[in-house]
Amino acid sequence: MHREIFERLEDVLSGTPTDLVAKHLNDCGDCRDQISAMTAQAKLVQQLKPPSQVDPRPGFYARVLERIEAEGPVSIWNLFVESAFGRRIALASFALAMLLGIYVVTAERAAAPIVASQAAIQACSGANCAAPAGSSAGHGVGQASTVSMVAGEDAPGAVLSRLDEEAPNDDMLVNLVTYREQ
Amino acid sequence: MDHRNSEEADLVRRVQARDEIAFREIVDRYQSKVFSIIFGILRNRNDAEDIAQQVFAKIYFSIRSFDFRSSLLTWIYKITVNECYDYLRKKRVRKLVYESDFSEDDAQRMEASEPAIDGHVPIDTRLAQRDLIIKLLGKLSEEDRSLMLLKEVEGHSVEELAQMTGLNENTIKVKLFRTRQKLLKAATRLTHAKGLMRS
Repeated sequence: MHREIFERLEDVLSGTPTDLVAKHLNDCGDCRDQISAMTAQAKLVQQLKPPSQVDPRPGFYARVLERIEAEGPVSIWNLFVESAFGRRIALASFALAMLLGIYVVTAERAAAPIVASQAAIQACSGANCAAPAGSSAGHGVGQASTVSMVAGEDAPGAVLSRLDEEAPNDDMLVNLVTYREQ
Repeated sequence: MDHRNSEEADLVRRVQARDEIAFREIVDRYQSKVFSIIFGILRNRNDAEDIAQQVFAKIYFSIRSFDFRSSLLTWIYKITVNECYDYLRKKRVRKLVYESDFSEDDAQRMEASEPAIDGHVPIDTRLAQRDLIIKLLGKLSEEDRSLMLLKEVEGHSVEELAQMTGLNENTIKVKLFRTRQKLLKAATRLTHAKGLMRS
């Protein structure tokens, strides 16, 4: 749209174009088309004019007061319910919370076998799993085992597993009894 | 124009201080206007009554945020139009008139009461046109929508709009021009989409 029309657009749309504008519209098809479309559109918007002055039913103020009493002060949470932006924020927050929840649950599940295996390693090291049968000296991590060991004795778990594999000898049984007494 | 130093500004300050009498005065002063705006958009008395009550409740609760940059009427007008669109959105009403709410009597009454813009246009066409323009206005921002309605429905001039909104006249002209262009584009898109749906 050309400047001379743009500057007088509202006058043109309200049906009071100057001679200069009328001449331009006569010559410029592009401006003429735009003005024609905007005029039709303005007429459409004007259909929203109320037919005449309309009033609410008598007692309107009392009903407004009732409404105010019923509603109370506007809550901050209404922001998240009533506006489109607020609803999007609420939805995004909910999605984020869900993702975090899923992450925490899956991370805990993944961590559980690691913790179990660490405990097993500690127990195993304390019992000198890797050491040859009859050996009593702890190595590495196993030396910090939670099970208090008497030097030269096997942990009960190791003893029992060895009982499954071979016939018990006197040393094994003595170790087991000593451990239980402790 | 300074909206801080007027009789209306004093009234607003009294309402902000929770003066019930001042609030009643605002309701008395603007209830017809608010009701007419809503009725013009929705054409349903019961809905207009309900939304008008909601508008004044909103005015009561949020008048402390009124900053005197615009006139009180402009502020109330914006709230009213927004409440109408909130209502339409909440009810998922895409058509202005829905079957259960519009009887033959209503049609005749509306036919008789419509302003004589296009008297020869049949009622169905007028309803479809109103439906279309409400949809198109729904594509605009709250500010642009209010400005367009104040210009075309209320018939305010650019000078009056500048005074009412506290913006300068050139800004109003540019805003109106852009709004009109947005409406044309939205109408083109909507027509195109309808054409695609039919084909």
